[in-house]
Amino acid sequence: MTPTVSRKSYALTWLGLLGLTLLTTLLGFIDMGPFNMMAAVGIAAVKAALIAGIFMHALFEGKLVRVVIAAGVMWFLIFVIWTAGDYITRGWLPFPGK
Amino acid sequence: MSPEIAPLALHEQFANPEQQRETASLGMWIFIVSEMMLFGGLFVAYTVYRMYYPQAFTEGSADMDIVLGSVNTAVLICSSFTMALAVHSAQMGSRKLVNIFLLATMAIGCVFLVIKFTEYYKHYLDHKAPGVWFDSAAANPGKVELFFVFYFIMTMLHALHMFVGLGLLTFTLLRNLAGKITAEYYNTIEVTGLYWHFIDIIWVFLYAIFYIPGLHP
Repeated sequence: MTPTVSRKSYALTWLGLLGLTLLTTLLGFIDMGPFNMMAAVGIAAVKAALIAGIFMHALFEGKLVRVVIAAGVMWFLIFVIWTAGDYITRGWLPFPGK
Repeated sequence: MSPEIAPLALHEQFANPEQQRETASLGMWIFIVSEMMLFGGLFVAYTVYRMYYPQAFTEGSADMDIVLGSVNTAVLICSSFTMALAVHSAQMGSRKLVNIFLLATMAIGCVFLVIKFTEYYKHYLDHKAPGVWFDSAAANPGKVELFFVFYFIMTMLHALHMFVGLGLLTFTLLRNLAGKITAEYYNTIEVTGLYWHFIDIIWVFLYAIFYIPGLHP
């Protein structure tokens, strides 16, 4: 059986993940206002994509598995974005409770 | 390959080994997506309360130990790396290397849990564990306590998954010792790896939302 990913690729992914962790921590010390959270979560999303794509072989799976993963990510984003959209826009209209 | 292992390589309901492998991975991925929804609800609840109480959540985050948190993130990434190498070794057909890498993954996973529970103990001593002994100098201690409620529930749910993962790794190790994992049939270690990496992904996000916001003054 040919391995899905070479050892070298695994090692590079591992180093990349450690580097991104260090970057997350260092960026945390700089005050960027609301962009601090965006940077931290954005880098976390890149790390998650690296782990899923390389370590979990998502990049090398067939269409069926990739559709399941994409569906999961999309449902989660609908969950987050629509909920946040509701809470952010509350109080925008001059009616109590709207 | 010895004759008693041969039937394992392809179960009769599958047309070929590739279909058998993909079926196992698909099943694990569907489970992982359901787990995403389990943690997703907590992440969304955290987001909503953080939007309501940004100040208190930043103050709560400032009470975190960034050194222990960062070290633990690196520790878990290392355990994911050894897990990936264990799957790689299984694909190469090296039973010995699979044993070594599985044991390494379990050992590093235990280091993570030891550091995590050390942190919990420190929070307990600092009166940061939610409950009657909770104490905070912040202007709104109740809201800071809410931050710690999220922190404890989410990281403890994560730690629970770590214990399940350690159980799965033990099972996989026993299967390998029994010679049931070969280069032709390694579904067991492949799906255990998927679960272990998923726990790593969850921690990456927990680290970003609990430890980072309180770093800058």
